[in-house]
Amino acid sequence: MPSAFATNMRFKFSILAIFLEVLIIVLFGIFVRYENNQPSKEDKLLLYPFFQDVHVMIFVGFGFLMTFLKKYGFSSVSINMLIAALGLQWGTLMQGFWHMKNQTINIDIESMINADFSTATVLISFGALLGKTSPVQMLIMTILEITIFSCNEHLVVNVLRATDTGASMTIHAFGAYFGLAAARVLYRPGLKEGHKNEESSYHSDMFAMIGTLFLWLFWPSFNSAIAHPDLQQRAIINTYFSMAACTLTAFALSSLVKHRGKLDMVHIQNATLAGGVAVGSCSDMNIYPFGAMLIGSIAGVISVIGFKFLTPFFSSKLKIHDTCGVHNLHGLPGLLGGLASIIAAVTQVKLRETDSPSAPMQAAALGCTVGIALVGGAFAGLILNLPFLGQAPDENCYDDSVYWEVPAEERQPAGQFSDTEDHRTVNINV
Amino acid sequence: MGSDYPPSLRCGLPGLILSLETAFILIFWFCFSNESGSTPKDLDIYPAFQDVNVLMILGFGFLLAFLKRYGFSSTGFNLLIAALGVQWAVLVEGFLFSSSAGKMKISLHSILKASISVTAVLISAGALLGKANPIQLIWMAMVEVAAFVTSRWINVKFLKVEEHTSLMHVPIFGTYFGLAVSWWLYHSSLSEKVEKEKSNPISDLFSMLGVLFVWMFWPSFNSVLIVDLMERRNAICNTYYAIAVSAVAAFALSSLSSRNGKIRMIHIHHAALAGGVALGFSAPIIPHPWIAMILGLLASMVAVLGSHCLQTYLNSVLKIHDTCGVHYMFGLPGLLGAIVNVILFIIIKRANLSSLGYLALIEVGSFMLTTAIGLGTGFITGFILTFKLWKTLPASKYFDDQAYWEFPHLAYRF
Repeated sequence: MPSAFATNMRFKFSILAIFLEVLIIVLFGIFVRYENNQPSKEDKLLLYPFFQDVHVMIFVGFGFLMTFLKKYGFSSVSINMLIAALGLQWGTLMQGFWHMKNQTINIDIESMINADFSTATVLISFGALLGKTSPVQMLIMTILEITIFSCNEHLVVNVLRATDTGASMTIHAFGAYFGLAAARVLYRPGLKEGHKNEESSYHSDMFAMIGTLFLWLFWPSFNSAIAHPDLQQRAIINTYFSMAACTLTAFALSSLVKHRGKLDMVHIQNATLAGGVAVGSCSDMNIYPFGAMLIGSIAGVISVIGFKFLTPFFSSKLKIHDTCGVHNLHGLPGLLGGLASIIAAVTQVKLRETDSPSAPMQAAALGCTVGIALVGGAFAGLILNLPFLGQAPDENCYDDSVYWEVPAEERQPAGQFSDTEDHRTVNINV
Repeated sequence: MGSDYPPSLRCGLPGLILSLETAFILIFWFCFSNESGSTPKDLDIYPAFQDVNVLMILGFGFLLAFLKRYGFSSTGFNLLIAALGVQWAVLVEGFLFSSSAGKMKISLHSILKASISVTAVLISAGALLGKANPIQLIWMAMVEVAAFVTSRWINVKFLKVEEHTSLMHVPIFGTYFGLAVSWWLYHSSLSEKVEKEKSNPISDLFSMLGVLFVWMFWPSFNSVLIVDLMERRNAICNTYYAIAVSAVAAFALSSLSSRNGKIRMIHIHHAALAGGVALGFSAPIIPHPWIAMILGLLASMVAVLGSHCLQTYLNSVLKIHDTCGVHYMFGLPGLLGAIVNVILFIIIKRANLSSLGYLALIEVGSFMLTTAIGLGTGFITGFILTFKLWKTLPASKYFDDQAYWEFPHLAYRF
């Protein structure tokens, strides 16, 4: 049982972080070079807007999406940034090792996009563990997860030759099931009854909405960034309509499952994005706008239903506590995306004039992704369970003040955002 | 008291949304196919397309989040009606504007035009903020998109207005549509500000986030549909300067208009964008930046003066309650821009005196027509929206998230 004192990470965290950075710099020095033989400069820089969009999603979108906990905003945004910054360097190396030419890794804008993608898996898993882990644990998980992710991605894309442009399977389903498996191993029986800090406040929900909107806006870029240039417009349009349809069904279902037809902010923050996840695998296929809208609508429905019924079931019966509900936002829609790509392959949907995806390979890709994610996540969970990694004790979970210097007035219990006139003046004067 | 409860939307809202979505999917199935044979060239507008989307969804969503107890609804319903409106606008545009028979094509360009049309709905929703429930908003979005696209069709087809200019009627149309609807939803209890209809520092800050995003991306909004590269560059630069001037002027005028020289946040919200709105029509044809900057200054003045003086007048005398002040933010600067556009047009075309009067008349006619259609259809829509069938809200529940949202954290004050 870790004591409260164990959360002092002055040396553990600093030394580990600096060691990792030195290691990465050395490896970059040995292996990484610029891509030299560019066919034409204009073509390559065409990808730069896509890269920027994906970058905004990773750092702003995912970061703010997780700020919904009332006392965990600092950690959500900043640890998200830490993971992403470490992950994109490590991801460049890990993905590069599979595509080495003459013992060097050549990087360009596309490999930067791919590196950003690889960090998305860790951020998704982080969502499942949010509030229950220390920054030291997250550094270790980043390294482990990206290593496993890049092996799985190589298997899916290069060995099985499955199509997964928007990465419903390799990123979203993988990240979600990796996180769930780790959460199962790291289960804290002491939090079975819930925790007093594990809830949102009005303004923390508004901050989470910033993240949602950024993710919503830039998802078409995410799903089309690495598509073939001729297919990018199709990928954008499919994703756009899938997101729009998903938003509508998420609102409808949220109102349907709740008492007196009220909406639930958790559903709106998360389920409206499920359409982008689900259409990922098929985004560049010729599924027509109505196909994309169909996939999006179904994703919105299953995501809300997952939040309503599956998440409580997981945490009470299966001992998997999923803080952000990543299973409903990334896991289930990711599976749906894989399923949709299998159906598309069976119905002979064309990718381009000649080639269409093959159903057995899509199914194999889905299966091996989920399998590797579960095994890898359990393995990572076992390592993270080592007692000296600075975990917070049960009563200090979901609380920034364990790892942060928090300004004094924020330590007050909820209700700090008071409406009364006098209170406001006090806050301003401070 | 029973009637004070907000009516449950449980049967109405999901049914309405799901049936609309099913209808959309079916219509798309039969009528649309993807643009085939696309090339990377089509992606040239993609960065600007994204800018417009950020402006609509993030910018407007948070712009409207200035009420202290209405943040969830402001951002959430903005997303809902934008997502719904775009699908519907693509359909309506496809039916009205496509000339050839057969399956219609969807490209980034058509989605972009649909997005800009939907901006009208988002502006109207600003005037109704806090007073209309999601069912009313959805019906309003359906009617308004159809009305706007029709008005645009008349402009393009009969008055031969350019496509870009016809879409830039959006702020005027949205405002006057919204105000006309708002007239019907007026309630005597709105004559003075209730506690819930105020902002607090945090909600003002959220609103500022939205204003900044709208501000940053307005040059893209004004220029994205212009085909000619030279004109597009001019439009970007002119809008940029005008909106910069209006932001500076907003601070000065706000400080000037208050008794103790302090700046009011609401003036900044209203006036910082005015320059961009005013430039909507004339951005590509303004030859020198200084003209754009003067226009920005004028627009900002109109917005601050309107916000300062007109608000009380409109609210009490005309019985129009404009929650967000869209009339000053978009309506008046838009009209100013339209008038300036006519003047510039006359100056530029003065060499050709014979047909000048006729052409100028058409320019005047086109924006007057848009305003009139906006007011007219808004008036009818407003009447329809007052039906009890849409589970209208009692006035005591206005401006309150609790009417629509589940609050797990209600145990605390917020």
